[in-house]
Amino acid sequence: MRPVYVLGVGAHPWGKFPGKPQLKLAIEALSAALRDAGLAFTDLQAVVAASSRFEGGMGWGLHANELLQAVAETGIPAINVGGGCAAGGIAVHTAVSMIASGKHDIVAAVGAERMPKGFIPRPPGSPDDISDTDYLRWVTMGATNPAYWALEARRRMHDVGTTEEIFAKASVLMHHNAVANPLARYRAECSVAEVLSSPVVADPLRLLEICAVSDGAAVVLLGSLDQARRLGVPLVEVAASAIATGQFGDPSIRIPTVSTIAATGVSHTSEVVGAVRTALEHAGMGPEDVDFVELADNTVWHVLAWPELFGFFEPGQADWMLEHGELAIGGRLPVNPSGGFLSFGEATTAQGVLQICEIVWQLRGQAAGHQVPNAKVGLSAVLGLGANGASIVLKT
Amino acid sequence: MNSIERIPVARELFTWTDDAGTYLIGSRCSGCGAHYFPKSISCRNPRCNAKEVHDVLLGPRGRLFSFTAQGYRPPPLFRMEPWAPYVIGMVELPEGLRVMGMLTGVTGDAVRIGMELELTVEPLYRDAEGREVVTYKFKPVDLGSAP
Repeated sequence: MRPVYVLGVGAHPWGKFPGKPQLKLAIEALSAALRDAGLAFTDLQAVVAASSRFEGGMGWGLHANELLQAVAETGIPAINVGGGCAAGGIAVHTAVSMIASGKHDIVAAVGAERMPKGFIPRPPGSPDDISDTDYLRWVTMGATNPAYWALEARRRMHDVGTTEEIFAKASVLMHHNAVANPLARYRAECSVAEVLSSPVVADPLRLLEICAVSDGAAVVLLGSLDQARRLGVPLVEVAASAIATGQFGDPSIRIPTVSTIAATGVSHTSEVVGAVRTALEHAGMGPEDVDFVELADNTVWHVLAWPELFGFFEPGQADWMLEHGELAIGGRLPVNPSGGFLSFGEATTAQGVLQICEIVWQLRGQAAGHQVPNAKVGLSAVLGLGANGASIVLKT
Repeated sequence: MNSIERIPVARELFTWTDDAGTYLIGSRCSGCGAHYFPKSISCRNPRCNAKEVHDVLLGPRGRLFSFTAQGYRPPPLFRMEPWAPYVIGMVELPEGLRVMGMLTGVTGDAVRIGMELELTVEPLYRDAEGREVVTYKFKPVDLGSAP
């Protein structure tokens, strides 16, 4: 296996774009990434796309094919990967593997999504019986996605004493980080009082503590060291990438299931923890080597709980870190200097690719207004339906 | 008495009688002893090679592990008439399972993690034929009553 470098990154801003098809978002992000790298469409040797659940892909998740047919019919390989909301991370991981193997020198990883309004609908053709837990969770108890996260948040309050104010402060931090990020959808500061006075969605979680859904697109161009040198781009290396699935006995009840077998000694959110631990191991690093993280903060609970699950802190310690500014830009472990899902809204399959773009900008020192000082190593973590996890470590 | 017919909101998910109480219908693997809810097509334990699951009744008691309040009306697949805010609990069963379900017989302020709960059924709505459509719920154990 040979080392893999980032040749270019590009993203379409996050928001709601009713007049712009998802394919158009993807084309703009790909064009931006090619400009960033100084490459042309004809330089691409393969495209890996995260398959969207909601739009395009010819109805079969063929997003890489659709993109090539729309913008550059060069005849190169197209690979489409599923993975729910972790598909973006899995697409980057796949592209990294293709470069590392030596088969390809320049590969694009693409994520683009336009989210439906309101609740995410069940896939067409799902059976109305006990074989479909998504059906069950609705008809038996009306369990919304925020209800699942609220159960975790409430349990955290019980276990380590997290207060509603501390949860609110995590939201304040995410929104603060996004103020200077032109790609973020929500760029206004908010106060603890504003968070606490926003409507309760699923007690104890409030509207400003749960991510919205957005439209967006992001592209990462990966390549060999030779290509990076030839192009003269700043050298950002993929220290490691890993994907994982859930482990038997994981105590978390996953959306949309209604039960779990909780075994001792098995990590909570094991699909993501497994990916993070594998990535760090392959990078030859420990938590102390990571300068900042970009993680999937569907809620404020994730901002606090995930760094602990990954082994960066002891259980409950993230609350203290947050209160003392250690999770902020300039702190011991900045969490989501981009502003995270809480400031972007989640464009599901595109999110795992956007995380890599943000890490690259940070490592290049191009994150104006939200730059992590002396950022040398960044780690991503993303979770998807089907118990999918992905984590990528970049270094400069 | 009992003039209104009651039907479950989903078939093969739970069962109840006035005398014996309410139970969830799950699976148990005879190879490794793991329990599942709802019924499972196989055994997820990677170290189990038997993969022999059969139906088993789960419950009727457990302890509250966590909870949340549903304060706004979920999308239409969930039918509850009349609609009113309710509590969803995550309940630990002795079989090693954590199960989600609605709570009843306890208001938000009185819900406590660790409280002992038992299964029951309650109507969600009436269907077109006038039958009561019921779901399983967890209610506080009445310590004064016979088990």
